[in-house]
Amino acid sequence: MVKQELIQRSPVRIFEKSIHGGLGAGEVGIISSQSGIGKTSVLVQIALDKLLQTKKVIHVSFTQHTDYVLAWYEDIFDEFIKKKNLENARDVKNELIKNRVLMNFNQDGVTGDQILRSLRAMIVDGGFKAEALIIDGFDFTKMSRERLAAIKGFAKEQGFSVWYSCTVTGESAAYDKKSIPLVIGDFVDLVDVVIVLEPKQDHIALTVSKDRDTYNPEHLALKLDPKTLLILEE
Amino acid sequence: MGIDITKMRNIGISAHIDSGKTTLSERILFYCDKIHAIHEVRGKDGVGATMDHMELERERGITIQSAATQVEWKDYTINLIDTPGHVDFTIEVERSLRVLDGAILVLCAVGGVQSQSITVDRQLKRYHVPRIAFVNKCDRTGANPFKVRLQLREKLGLNAVMIQIPIGLEDKLEGLVDLITMKAVYFDGDSGTDLRYAEIPPHLKADAEKYREEMIDAVSLFSDDLAEKFLGGEDIPEELIHAAIRKGTLLEQFVPVMIGSAYKNKGIQTLLDAVGSYLPNPTEVKNYALDLDHGEERKELISEEKSPTVALGFKLEDGQYGQLTYVRIYQGSLKKGEELINTRARKKFKVGRLVRMHSNDMEDITEGAPGDIVALFGVECASGDTFCGGGLNYAMTSMFVPEPVISLAINPTDKKSADQMAKALNRFTKEDPTFRTFVDQESNQTIVQGMGELHLEVYIERMRREYKCEVETGMPQVAYREAIQTRSDFNYTHKKQTGGSGQYGRVAGYMEPYSDGDYEFVDNIKGGSIPNEFIPSCDKGFKEAVKRGSLIGFPIVNIRCVINDGASHPVDSSDIAFQLAAIGAFREAYNKAKPCILEPIMKVAVEGPTEFQGNIYASINQRRGIISASTEDGTFSRVEAEVPLSEMFGYSTVLRSLTQGKAEFTMEFEKYGKVPSSISEALVKEYEEKRRKEQGR
Repeated sequence: MVKQELIQRSPVRIFEKSIHGGLGAGEVGIISSQSGIGKTSVLVQIALDKLLQTKKVIHVSFTQHTDYVLAWYEDIFDEFIKKKNLENARDVKNELIKNRVLMNFNQDGVTGDQILRSLRAMIVDGGFKAEALIIDGFDFTKMSRERLAAIKGFAKEQGFSVWYSCTVTGESAAYDKKSIPLVIGDFVDLVDVVIVLEPKQDHIALTVSKDRDTYNPEHLALKLDPKTLLILEE
Repeated sequence: MGIDITKMRNIGISAHIDSGKTTLSERILFYCDKIHAIHEVRGKDGVGATMDHMELERERGITIQSAATQVEWKDYTINLIDTPGHVDFTIEVERSLRVLDGAILVLCAVGGVQSQSITVDRQLKRYHVPRIAFVNKCDRTGANPFKVRLQLREKLGLNAVMIQIPIGLEDKLEGLVDLITMKAVYFDGDSGTDLRYAEIPPHLKADAEKYREEMIDAVSLFSDDLAEKFLGGEDIPEELIHAAIRKGTLLEQFVPVMIGSAYKNKGIQTLLDAVGSYLPNPTEVKNYALDLDHGEERKELISEEKSPTVALGFKLEDGQYGQLTYVRIYQGSLKKGEELINTRARKKFKVGRLVRMHSNDMEDITEGAPGDIVALFGVECASGDTFCGGGLNYAMTSMFVPEPVISLAINPTDKKSADQMAKALNRFTKEDPTFRTFVDQESNQTIVQGMGELHLEVYIERMRREYKCEVETGMPQVAYREAIQTRSDFNYTHKKQTGGSGQYGRVAGYMEPYSDGDYEFVDNIKGGSIPNEFIPSCDKGFKEAVKRGSLIGFPIVNIRCVINDGASHPVDSSDIAFQLAAIGAFREAYNKAKPCILEPIMKVAVEGPTEFQGNIYASINQRRGIISASTEDGTFSRVEAEVPLSEMFGYSTVLRSLTQGKAEFTMEFEKYGKVPSSISEALVKEYEEKRRKEQGR
């Protein structure tokens, strides 16, 4: 199989279709679940899909240091090529690496302004025109309207989309009636897409809780393979 | 003999550049009464640190050569090796680690675990060297030993546990709390020579209790006795804690974290105590040699005086009185007048002058004990040779020597310098296996090769100073490689008939990219179309051909040559005929196999204050660099990137001016990568012009 096919047949296509074409410039999406369900895996799959299309991606991580994130990329890429029997896997991989930057911040020591400044330095001074920003491990209890609005404004200005992961704690109490995580309640209007991962008996289900103006929890017909955490059609 | 081996410690000080290794060594010498005044690295007093005895080291404020010295601390004898932090001098680190039994891993309390700390730690792990972590510079603004402890755990995966906590930090650093004795320790007097033990300050009591409990909990794994007492809520004797820490450290499952400030004379004596208490003596480290008489069987060496001698010459130096060889004695002893054999050269020699080194000074001795590090005079040998006595024929395993990545043409300016240059090069190549030299056949220039710009710069400067040899240098050259990208077939006949016996050989097969090594030869001939005796000739021919690619004349790598057919003549076929046939076949196929140029790609890490991040990113971007990761915690940021070596020349100057001298970078060889086509075209053109000029001459 060649790279083009891999992109076309990616489950991320269906994923994008169900949220009306995926995120555009300046739009913010959130993948929410309890910890250990597969948020990072989904984010990495979205990132890899962009990378395969030779788009640039910045992956920001707050909790783990970079080796941990790299391991996720390695594993998922290997799963991809194993399943699809990709030609010139090594060259493709080298190509991908060129378009990916990992940024690691200390949650306690770094303010939102500093992060924006660093991102600007990377994109403008570093000449790294990212099309997607992946933010993993950010503690949403520290999020404010201003902080999110600033990121959104910057994303719009520079023409990239933003995917966050959001960890919720506790059971059902973590979400409101519309299946929106309570922790983002104050600025839910700034968030364009919310996707919730839920563990079921033998798989993990993906649900769209919010898609721009519509709040209707819709079954996505997508699931995560509980073993590889890859997105699959149900 | 007088030396009790169990009281001997062979230790090194390893760390990232500028974390204060040399300052720490200087303090150790001072407290052990080796020197009577403390001199600083960038000696304002014009003296410079004792261990940096080379003039160049003092001027630049860096350590270039590892220096060995012996000190006495209480009843311990410590052989101390100060190693350079700069990766360009990596061989110094490798060979020191080869002979060390334990190490102090020095970390900066502000910078924490920096990129090179990771490299150093990897080296320590490779040689299984137990270590103590010393968090230095606790007097600096932004110092946080607890953060460093966390990084040791997260980034290096070490089971790092505080056994001390600081009393005050930054400019308020007063001393430390020893969590084992639960006493405060202050370093009084002009140079911190007087230790004063006191009660723990009230405001630190709770913290001290907390960290002590954590420590006891961690070490209880290594002592059932201690665990029992801990669970039973009994008092735990100090000796029991020491023993447990020692056990964990030797198993490399525990790393005691100590704190202090070498510059402010705090925490050094306690660190020395820990070296004695927790690091291994020579008998506690397993060392192996290969028995050459018995199929290279691995033999464990025993640090006993009575056993036959096995020693390793790990470092050569050309001193005033001839060649000096640093030797680590692994087994038996080294006596003046004794006859030993150099197992590589198969040569007997007599131990002449035997000395103990104290950096640049030496002391004559008559005997070296097992486990000790001493130096020999006047022994003809190369770095890494094994010396045996008592009829043994052992060889110590060699150390890892990386390939040089950068080269420079040098030209003596006059006749006298030419003679001196030859002498200097001869000595440097003997001392340093990563420094190489050869004469380029085409241009007739002398080329030197090394691990980086600084590495070569230092040698050129040493020629000037130590040999009064003036040389002109060309532009630094990158060690390029050539490689093929597709499979290509060949079928070539070499035929020559000039009266008498002719030459005939036909070789057919193909070449293809090969990723697991530089070169592979495969014989797929069935039916003997090439007689067996000529197969090695084909291999030889290909080997000759890959020495120089046709694009820019650099060696060809990652190639597999396969032969599957051919022909021979009963009279005219010969070794040379098939060699030439293989070379011809290679040339025929090479250009069809889409040859490309590879260049060394360096792993570069730039570290500095966050405010300069934009400048750093931009500077890497301009150098065809790929940023792979950046890490930030408040004020400090680290950028990791892959950048072609050819773009990194002069980067230190650029970086200095971009960041007001506040950022620093380290770089090491990562891999060979394909040169972009625009640059590759320019390189080919340049090479062709050079050849044309040479042919015109």
